[in-house]
Amino acid sequence: MCADLPYRLHHGGTPLLKILILFVLFFATPVRADEDSDFKRYAGMFQQKCAKCHTVGKGDRVGPDLKRVSQRRKREWLIGFIQKPSAYLDSDEEAIKMLKKFNNVRMEDLNLSTADVEGMLEYISAASEGPVGPEDLDLPEQDPYKRLQMPNENSGILVPGLVGSGVLLLLAAVCFHLGFVRISAFVFVLALGAGYWSFQGRATHRYPSEQQGYEPVQPMEFSHKNHAGTLRIACLYCHHAAEKSDVAGVPPANICMNCHKSVKKPKEDPTGRGEKDIKFLMDVWENRDKPNAERLEWIRVHDLADYVKFSHRVHVNNNMQCQECHGPVETMERMRQAAPLTMAWCVECHRKKPSEAPAHWKRAGATLDCAACHL
Amino acid sequence: MRRVTYKPMDKKQQEDEDKQDLVKRGSFLKGMSASFAALAASGCGLRPPKEKIIPLMEQPEGVFPGETMWYATTCGACTAACGAIAKVRDGRPIKLEGNPEHPLSRGGLCARGQASVLDLYDSERLKQPLIGGKPAAWSEIDARVDKQKEKIVVVSETIVSPTLRAAVEAFLKKTKGSKLVEYDSISASAILDAHKRTHGVRALPAYHLGKARVIVSVGADFLGSWISPVEFTKDWAPNRQPDHEWDTMSWHAQFEAAHSLTGANADLRMAIKPSAYYETLRQIGLSVAKETGWKGPKPPAGPATPLAASRIDETASQLVRAAGRSLVLSGSNDIAVQSLVNLINAMLGNYGETLDLDPRGHQKAGDDSGFDGFLAELAAGSVGGVIFLSGNPVYDHPDGARLKELLVRTKLTVSMSGRLDETAAACQLVAPDHHALESWGDAEAVDAVVSLTQPTIAPIYKTRSAVESLLAWSGAPQSAHDFLRARWKKEYLKGKDFDQRWHDTLKQGVLVVEKRRSKNPDFRPASVAKLAVQAPGSVSAFELVVYPSVSVGDGRQANNPWLHETPDPMAKTTWGNHASFAPEDAKSLDIVEGRVVRLSANGKSMELPAHIQPGQALGTVAAALGYGRTKAGPVAANFPTEKMFPIDQEGLGGTDLYPISRTFDVMVEKTERMAALAKTQTYDLMTDPITGRRRPMVQETNLQDYFKDPTSGRGDILEAGPSLWPEHEYPGQKWAMAIDLNACTGCSGCVAACGIENNVPVVGKAEVRKSRDMHWLRIDRYYNEEGEAAFQPMLCQHCDNAPCETVCPVLATLHSSEGMNMQVYNRCVGTRYCANNCPYKVRRFNWFDYAHEDLAQNMALNPDITVRSRGVMEKCSFCVQRVQSAKADAKGENRPIADGEVKPACAQSCPADAIVFGDINDKNSEISKKVGDPRSYAVLSELGVAPSVFYMTKVRNKKV
Repeated sequence: MCADLPYRLHHGGTPLLKILILFVLFFATPVRADEDSDFKRYAGMFQQKCAKCHTVGKGDRVGPDLKRVSQRRKREWLIGFIQKPSAYLDSDEEAIKMLKKFNNVRMEDLNLSTADVEGMLEYISAASEGPVGPEDLDLPEQDPYKRLQMPNENSGILVPGLVGSGVLLLLAAVCFHLGFVRISAFVFVLALGAGYWSFQGRATHRYPSEQQGYEPVQPMEFSHKNHAGTLRIACLYCHHAAEKSDVAGVPPANICMNCHKSVKKPKEDPTGRGEKDIKFLMDVWENRDKPNAERLEWIRVHDLADYVKFSHRVHVNNNMQCQECHGPVETMERMRQAAPLTMAWCVECHRKKPSEAPAHWKRAGATLDCAACHL
Repeated sequence: MRRVTYKPMDKKQQEDEDKQDLVKRGSFLKGMSASFAALAASGCGLRPPKEKIIPLMEQPEGVFPGETMWYATTCGACTAACGAIAKVRDGRPIKLEGNPEHPLSRGGLCARGQASVLDLYDSERLKQPLIGGKPAAWSEIDARVDKQKEKIVVVSETIVSPTLRAAVEAFLKKTKGSKLVEYDSISASAILDAHKRTHGVRALPAYHLGKARVIVSVGADFLGSWISPVEFTKDWAPNRQPDHEWDTMSWHAQFEAAHSLTGANADLRMAIKPSAYYETLRQIGLSVAKETGWKGPKPPAGPATPLAASRIDETASQLVRAAGRSLVLSGSNDIAVQSLVNLINAMLGNYGETLDLDPRGHQKAGDDSGFDGFLAELAAGSVGGVIFLSGNPVYDHPDGARLKELLVRTKLTVSMSGRLDETAAACQLVAPDHHALESWGDAEAVDAVVSLTQPTIAPIYKTRSAVESLLAWSGAPQSAHDFLRARWKKEYLKGKDFDQRWHDTLKQGVLVVEKRRSKNPDFRPASVAKLAVQAPGSVSAFELVVYPSVSVGDGRQANNPWLHETPDPMAKTTWGNHASFAPEDAKSLDIVEGRVVRLSANGKSMELPAHIQPGQALGTVAAALGYGRTKAGPVAANFPTEKMFPIDQEGLGGTDLYPISRTFDVMVEKTERMAALAKTQTYDLMTDPITGRRRPMVQETNLQDYFKDPTSGRGDILEAGPSLWPEHEYPGQKWAMAIDLNACTGCSGCVAACGIENNVPVVGKAEVRKSRDMHWLRIDRYYNEEGEAAFQPMLCQHCDNAPCETVCPVLATLHSSEGMNMQVYNRCVGTRYCANNCPYKVRRFNWFDYAHEDLAQNMALNPDITVRSRGVMEKCSFCVQRVQSAKADAKGENRPIADGEVKPACAQSCPADAIVFGDINDKNSEISKKVGDPRSYAVLSELGVAPSVFYMTKVRNKKV
């Protein structure tokens, strides 16, 4: 019965069923939602705080694989370590041993509360027993070529548009009556235009400054699909500034070289372009200190107006997933701007009440002050 | 720093890509009706410009793009060597702030220090060494210097860096018959010479104004420009807090000719001619000797001065009452005056208490007679070569013109100036030094307080550190960094763990060396015998008073537009200097403001516009130094406005007064010309000219009334009526500011800080004349009925019921949920209704796209702030970017914002700590305490606009 429930509901269903379902939902939802939201929240937090160095069940990366870590170590130790790694890495024997094993790369302090650490451990335990990943979060699927429909946007244009169109039609009629045929035709076209704009055009056409779907050819064919999708490298591994700085930044070449010192060609490379690009990268890297050396140059895709300031760290620290604004990057061969990045689109999320917000966000109901972004 | 080379993109490839983009964006055109063709046509063109991202090859650990880094260093703008921290974004220093760890400057930084960051990006800086005015290689310079083996004179302004001094000594040791001559453009030579006479050591004392309950200054503008103004303001201001106990507020008397900002802050200010300084001090000395029962030789007795005896007695009795806790200062460069000052301080037992000769100050070590001796040697031809290490004596020494002539005859002339200034232009070789923000170095402004200078950017041009040049010429080339470290290892950081301690000191920016405190040398009574009664000066001529201006200083930063547009605190003039006259003198000479007058002395004459200055001593004419530079660059000569709006060039760069700066008597003539001053304030009086009633913007009282009633001084303030507006709710923070008018000295550090932080444009002289200056924060200066001046920083008051918000037709100015009044530049269409409706007149309109064509200088722009374009209104934002950034920090660390964590640029740099900013919803915050203080009031509160900026009544410590 449960499987086709949405279908039944959509088609009416019996009143009794509706009442029953409401009754069940009334009692069931909060409990379920809470568990669910906690799970999602920590899934989101794991993505933004841990995934760049750790995996659950996919082997060691920068740091150890965390699969079933709660069974391997004492709970107090884990909580203490995650909260203040710096203290442990200096004094605790176990921690020092691990530090040596992982090339002396120190874990940084994450500034998490005890409740957050406990939640994260719960998530890791759950993830250890089954495939859990970014798919757990309700991330938006955004079609770059289809304008997103925004409620409330452009409201107020409809009525003036129609009135304008009517006035213009009247004017055209008057002109025609007086014998000014050419002027009348011109005004008539204007009237049609105004009408089109108020009914459909305003929803179909984008503002000139809106760049949704922008997908320039880059000097190098870097594939996010391969790196973030197939290889599942966390976004923040390369764009690590996003959690510290207002700017996410394009990774410096030394980050590429962490892997590409040994990876000389891609697994699948039908066109041979991949190998060529890696070779170019290696050349640039090796000649980096020479005068007039070539540099890695990218064409900027996401470019906000200069009068807007967007802070990556604020959003990342709120457990927001990169895909929420950048779209399904892990499926993109070439980077494109998936979201419209207009103010109406930004404010859509800022207006969300805690009850409407995705479960993995830490906070919802963000500021609507102009000066939050327009500085 | 990494060097970036841009690969030019293949043109065809670019076109192809553009086409491809267009096809994809074609939906815009599809189905578009003809009436929108025009919009569409412009629409497709409206793609943001294609931008490139060029990442670093190797990113240093802990450095992120877009992240702000702070480096402790030392300000290099003058010899006071205040501690500074440089804000570095993406490899570029963009702002200098005071280093709170520095024991002298304690987080303050003056306008000139802050503006020095723009000097770094000045495109007028030398880009490589020169020989005979032509670009040369460093090796050629070294070879030319090496040829001269003996008798080289190194001329420098006071060397405050012990490491640079060591490098000079290394060079002198190598070259036979060489010597170092130090001079100062703003000389304090007499203070040192007088101490040689009275205490046997030629030394500048270390002043401890913080310990002084009574300060008597005779012509020393110690809050504005004298020796170390930031340090002195930090010392002076805390003692100006009236308290509910007697005798907690210091008493400050100022005897001076020109009206300085120090005088404006004094409790007793007497306008006297410079020639009366000596006599006044002599009378004070006699009274002090009488009251203290001084056993030693007394100042010479003689006829009393015309100065009111009651004032002299009051001053003397105050000094004696606080003997050992008082301080007498003088800015005079006359040894007799300074000897008298030393005698009075000795009689009061102040040595060892409020001033010290051990530890002593090093901010001024110049020797006027030494420089005169050098000129004589140069004339006699006994000098083989001259190296100008720092300073610009051709311009800033009274005998500069003669020096220039003599240099032509000298075999080797080298200037190490970073720019082609007057002295460098007169030299054969120019070996440009780095800017302070590019160099390694140190500074010891006062004994045992040693601060480090570290580079915050790799050298932009092919310049070389002066230390490295000197070491190369002494035959032991070494990098400045190595030399500095080696010296520090030997001198200051002896013992184990040098690397760690060096790193810590670098991070701190300053080291206080543990030194045994030795005894001050004793006062030598015999020195008093040299003092005599002075004959009064001539009556017919005007006495000339020259002073370094608070904004431009001695003129070394004359190509800095930020400083030129920072108004003089007293006269409120920008862009150029003026001759100040007392109102009575102006009347008798029949001159009005802007009338060009000719000052002549010693066969030299200077022309400059007149300014009428209340409070100026009768029979004196005062003018600022530092203007009229011929070789500073386009800004000093005729700032950018000339390009944008052609205007006549009269006196744009001001007039150079150094040639007559050592003369006392000048002839004043009126000319036929007029030159309007570019003033930022044209209404000076606190009394309403029509009703004659006092306008209560600045509320002031005196200490006695304050004790009777802490709210005294309110004046006739009308009650605000009931508000028609619903009250705002501030669920989170509610930001507010309190400005203590008792602490504020008017030094204009905040004005500079605000402009630098917020990318406030510079508009130029012509626009200032039209009152189109853009300062978000201005300092109003008013004179009260008794001619006393008071300063009031005026900025957007962030009213709860803001009049500007209600009149904006496009909702470009709105109220935030945290009590701020926000300005949205991209919404603003420039109706200027808001500015008209603002009772405080703090909104600024961009009449033009102001100069941003100097790409080098644009590197100093703050990337967090929009650069406003033409037709947009702007105003103080309470540094909302800092609030946002602090909130992001706090959220990232899961904690609430701490009180005092957010400091707007003005509050951060204030040397007097007069500005407090914080969250008024937090009842324990500093700001809540300030606002709850009985002294707190709001300007124009009767309008009911409910400002978020509060002022604290000014209390003067005077008897009525």
